[in-house]
Amino acid sequence: MANFWNKFTIKQKLAITAWLFLAVPLVFYITIRFYPTFEAFYVSTLKWNLLGAKKAIGMKNYIKIFADEDFWLVLWNTIKYALVGVPVSMLIAFVIAYWLNEIDFGHDFIRAMYFIPFLTTAVAMAWVWRWFYQPLPIGYFNTMLSWFGIPQQPFLRSVTQGLYSIMAPAVWAGLGFQIVIFIAGIRAIPRSYFEAAEIDGAGRRQILREITLPALKPTIIFLTVVSTIGFLRIFDQVYTMSADSAGGPLNSTKPLVLMIYEFAFDEFKLGRASALTVILFLILLVVSLVQLWLMRKQK
Amino acid sequence: MAEVTLDGVRKLFGSVTAVEDFTLSIGNGEFVVFVGPSGCGKSTTLRMLAGLEDVSSGSISIDGRAVNNIHPKDRDIAMVFQNYALYPHLNVYDNMSFGLRAKRLPRSEIESRTHDAAEILGLGDLLKRRPGELSGGQKQRVAMGRAIVRQPKVFLFDEPLSNLDAKLRHKMRAEMKLLHQRVQTTTVYVTHDQVEAMTLADRIVIMNEGRIEQVGTPDEVYKQPASQFVASFIGSPAMNFATGMISNSSRQTILETHSGVDIGLASSHVVQGRQVHLGFRPEHMQLADVAKPPKGHISISGDITVVEPMGHETVLTCDGGFGEIVGKYEGDKHFRPGESVYFHIRTDRLHYFDLETGIRI
Repeated sequence: MANFWNKFTIKQKLAITAWLFLAVPLVFYITIRFYPTFEAFYVSTLKWNLLGAKKAIGMKNYIKIFADEDFWLVLWNTIKYALVGVPVSMLIAFVIAYWLNEIDFGHDFIRAMYFIPFLTTAVAMAWVWRWFYQPLPIGYFNTMLSWFGIPQQPFLRSVTQGLYSIMAPAVWAGLGFQIVIFIAGIRAIPRSYFEAAEIDGAGRRQILREITLPALKPTIIFLTVVSTIGFLRIFDQVYTMSADSAGGPLNSTKPLVLMIYEFAFDEFKLGRASALTVILFLILLVVSLVQLWLMRKQK
Repeated sequence: MAEVTLDGVRKLFGSVTAVEDFTLSIGNGEFVVFVGPSGCGKSTTLRMLAGLEDVSSGSISIDGRAVNNIHPKDRDIAMVFQNYALYPHLNVYDNMSFGLRAKRLPRSEIESRTHDAAEILGLGDLLKRRPGELSGGQKQRVAMGRAIVRQPKVFLFDEPLSNLDAKLRHKMRAEMKLLHQRVQTTTVYVTHDQVEAMTLADRIVIMNEGRIEQVGTPDEVYKQPASQFVASFIGSPAMNFATGMISNSSRQTILETHSGVDIGLASSHVVQGRQVHLGFRPEHMQLADVAKPPKGHISISGDITVVEPMGHETVLTCDGGFGEIVGKYEGDKHFRPGESVYFHIRTDRLHYFDLETGIRI
């Protein structure tokens, strides 16, 4: 046995050992993740209710989806979650990280406080927020508004405010992660850059514009992509907070993933749901590719 | 250009004293080098001068103005960092002009000053490059350029050459000296390399454990080291020491070393019975064929343990009986480990330091 093993070069031995260790996760990923993903492409060309016979219908699922007005509304909702949620959350996270980095006293404690929502179940938090949004005398927000004599707001019950009311806890939940990554990014910038700039007489704004932000570009790109994907896949908060768990009122808060869920498990249109999944997959793929391209330009 | 005064400056980090009672007056246009082993407080002192560290007590003034509570940017200083601190996403021109833009100078002046500095440093062709595309020496020059364009009252250098390889360091050292001769700006330079200190400085400040050991010209610290620490720090290979008591034996003064070997001293200004370190430099040891020294010399013998040929000279490490001694000689003579050699040393080149305090006698 030892003789046989020694026939390989050192490099080959290393490769064999490495692949042995990689085998388990590889098998797992192929059977649990990649296979169903590719299966979804196939199912998206079927008419199938999960129990009955499968019927191949070609691209009909896609045609129906694109002809469906609701789909376009839901797609736009999903984009809105990302388009507003990402910049707002990044801006808040950066401002907090920037100032948190300046203080030593209580730094770790405050950072932990910001991080806790990230560790908490989205559903539990969404329930609490749902309660915040209730009308008087239960809801916190409306109670606070009443102190200042501001009219009551419908929040979750409004077609214009609903989406943003659901987005708020999603932004809040992701802040901890973004702040921690931002602080790590800021701390990775060599101190001497700031010291040199300080001696050179640069003000806070020039240092921020010419040193901190450019140095954080990889961090910003990474967080943008991760949170964009996060917001495009939003589900828990909407399912928990929206009226009848259906993305209401009037579908105004419904994102793609909730629509997929409804097709699959309320209406048992597995083919339609799979087609929608493929569409979401392609959107996420494009976002990731753009990230790779931006990162490469860095170097 | 300006004078810089540090008066009783002290720096505490928690309960640890980093710098203690640092008093020094730096003249207009002078090039002063702080040198010492790592942790001796030299960089901390420089950073206090720059305003990057608070002063625990004492006062610092630049050009007659107390700057203890003045922000770094208002001290009119420029600093070059060990890692250069070039902003990686800005090109050479933007790096060099950073401070001028911070000051909101008119564009034309920024341009002319930056180009002048680039000219002096031979960076004219590199202005559009990013730091990542530059060699170590070029980065070093850009860092100096960023300081020069500011036309500050004082230049501060924090180990600027220690990231370069030996050859380049030598070259940049010469360039730095040339630059100072040209711009004549008061300069404070921190290094742990005694060769850099000796070659660059008008005056050297040798520090150890937060205190000044000696302030003097390179010549003074080499020829008249104020303490055993200075004597062992300045010079390469380092000074040899024999430890013992001065005493008298059959008409001549000797050093009774603690290991039992006696060294004949011919004469000495040190009183008998005093415990001392006797110091002598490798380059002052003349190789001899006989034990008996000529008039005005002492003789040391040793058994060779290591021979290090350097080409133009050879360094011999020997066991002198009282400890290790290092000597060197020029010439073609070849030695092998195990052979015995004699060295003669002029008595006026011997250094005596008190055993307890290390202070020069």
